[in-house]
Amino acid sequence: MTLDKFKQGDKVKIKSLKCGQNFKKRLMELGLFDGSEIEITKNDNFGPLIIKIFDSKIALGRGEAQKIYAQKI
Amino acid sequence: MPKKYDITIGLTGNPNVGKSTLFNTLTGSKQHVGNWPGKTVEKKTGNFKFHDNTIQIVDLPGAYSLTAYTEEETVTSDFILQEKPNVVVQVIDAQNFTRNLFVTVQLIELSAPLILAINMADLARSEGFSFDLKELSKLLGLPVIEINAKTGDNINKLNEAVIKKSFSKKSSIIKLTYGTEIDDELTKLNTFISKKEKISKQEIHWLSLKLLEGDYRADQELNKKPYYLELKKTVQKSIEHLELIFGKDINSILTSTRYGFINGLCKTVVKKENIKNNRILSNSFDNIAMHKIWGIPLFLFTTWLLFQITFKVSKPLMGLIETFFSWLGEHLTQILTSWGASNWTISLFTEGIIGGVGGVLIFIPIIGILFLLIALLEDSGYMARVAYIMDKFMHKIGLHGKAFIPLILGFGCNVPGIMATRTLETKKDRLLTMLINPFMSCGARLPVYALFTGAFFSAYQGWIIFSLYLLGIIVAIIMGLIFKKFLSQKLSSPFVIELPPYRLPSIKGLLIHAWERIWLFIKKAGTIILVFSVIIWALASLPMGVEYGSETSWAGSLGKVVTPVFKPLGFGNWQSSVALIFGFVAKEVVVGTFGTLYGIEDAENNITSLHHALQQDFTPLSSYAFMVFVLLYVPCMAVLAVIKRETNSWKWMFFVAIYTTTIAWLVSFIIYQGGRLLGLE
Repeated sequence: MTLDKFKQGDKVKIKSLKCGQNFKKRLMELGLFDGSEIEITKNDNFGPLIIKIFDSKIALGRGEAQKIYAQKI
Repeated sequence: MPKKYDITIGLTGNPNVGKSTLFNTLTGSKQHVGNWPGKTVEKKTGNFKFHDNTIQIVDLPGAYSLTAYTEEETVTSDFILQEKPNVVVQVIDAQNFTRNLFVTVQLIELSAPLILAINMADLARSEGFSFDLKELSKLLGLPVIEINAKTGDNINKLNEAVIKKSFSKKSSIIKLTYGTEIDDELTKLNTFISKKEKISKQEIHWLSLKLLEGDYRADQELNKKPYYLELKKTVQKSIEHLELIFGKDINSILTSTRYGFINGLCKTVVKKENIKNNRILSNSFDNIAMHKIWGIPLFLFTTWLLFQITFKVSKPLMGLIETFFSWLGEHLTQILTSWGASNWTISLFTEGIIGGVGGVLIFIPIIGILFLLIALLEDSGYMARVAYIMDKFMHKIGLHGKAFIPLILGFGCNVPGIMATRTLETKKDRLLTMLINPFMSCGARLPVYALFTGAFFSAYQGWIIFSLYLLGIIVAIIMGLIFKKFLSQKLSSPFVIELPPYRLPSIKGLLIHAWERIWLFIKKAGTIILVFSVIIWALASLPMGVEYGSETSWAGSLGKVVTPVFKPLGFGNWQSSVALIFGFVAKEVVVGTFGTLYGIEDAENNITSLHHALQQDFTPLSSYAFMVFVLLYVPCMAVLAVIKRETNSWKWMFFVAIYTTTIAWLVSFIIYQGGRLLGLE
């Protein structure tokens, strides 16, 4: 399932990133890579999502979230 | 030659960890702001004395990683590799050890002479974290010091560590291990390079690692070497081998290995116990600040409040400066008369210079307070939330939330606003953001609004000025929608931004920031505005024998040529035509011109007399149309120059100059004539 489909409060494990090399690098630096565990802090079903990686909140565009596959834990 | 500084420190760390706060605490006002050579990234340096050592400190841009991805990141690693600072201090936010240590690991790979400064530990402790910094220091083999960047606690301890580190030859002994598979491949590359190059072991290791990562700088450094092809093949083979074993791409492998190491480290060093949620307040504020319905109204309310406070607080201060200049003008006249100076000289000083420059300097309190408040919003963490709530809105004009930040910066000055578009990844995003940026009402236009609202809307200053800023944004949105039709429709660059926890900014940092702005404003008044005040004074006094500032002067003739264009907009007096022409140099000149042209006949109270003079030539409606015109018409020459430089095209520069002026004319026309139809005059 892609990241934008999860609900607020879901804790998920990242499966794969299907986005461009540069953006992927950016996400990895922030701690989002396959195998990492994150939490969906806010998802209004439109506009960007807010996710929690480690101890920081990150806003992520919806279009980008649609390229990230994850599994609920 | 004696060395200018005994010690050079590079200051680095993630964004929002208190790096600038530490920089300000260490250096105070002894700062120098410039650009990194050949880059648009700002370079801040400062110096201070500690135990007879003069220490230079270089504030490196905040970055999440050292891999070459953005300009900011190349600056940091280039600085460490080429300029070899004696010490590198990394500021770490104790509330987010894991992510911060990702940069630490890369700095260790670079074998930087590293010291870790742990900031905001008290906040982290109050949230239930506890840490063993001694253990961390032992495990990493480098000094770790807990500091409080805001209060300056333990700063001396940090300085002592810096001195000790810079005089010891020992570098960090720790070598990171990436697991046998990766280490084997790294060894292969190390051996290959060490046979060809005579560089230190550490440099070789770093190069091998960067080659595996596909860092383009490492590649560029080597691609002229005779053995390049052979090396490239070896690197490729290693990558393929590793990707096969791990079943993912090389960057994911290295990142997860690094994070694996960090997680292990954090398990022994950081303890997270019965987390007291101190962020409840922060979270509940976020629920409103980023609410799908209330987010935008709250942002608008905040902006409105910003202007209300700015005007309420600055009014009495402006009164003081006003009194000072009237006093100065009066006494100067007396002194010059007693010296037997000609009427010309007296007029040059009182009407020309004090009228022009003084008329602009009166607005120092407004500029200072507004920037203080904007810095407060930025440093508190609210601006990042604004980027979030504006994202879906910005999508409508084909941009994303991050493009809102160059636009907000435009409220300060459009020049840095336009330069900040470099953080946007695609050309189309950049161009679009640049084209609409001039409609963001910059600080230089504020004195014009302040002058006119003071004369015509003194009871509603905050409201009227807020409406102008809002109008600028609305015009920008409409133009964005139109440009989107012509530029490609596709939304391209990705949106990701960190929302830092809310924090109370340091007062010192805010004051330094506001002072920088005020100083810039004073410098402008002392140079460009002074020169043009004298030019306008000369135009108003010539030809010989003409009555100062009358219609028959050169300024009057010049103004009257252009007046017919502005007549339908409600300001057909020649003074405003002259003011608008010279306003192209810098928008504050509009105010300076009125000051010079209307003169200060009764030196008792110069701005009030200017108000009276304006009330003769304008009605409230036409003054509003005039302010709208100043808001929207051709941006000042500095902005046009930066557009030319950033787009590298004269065509776009002329386009901006012409289209903004056209829009300004149309909107002012609609407001003035529409207002008249509604009987507002």
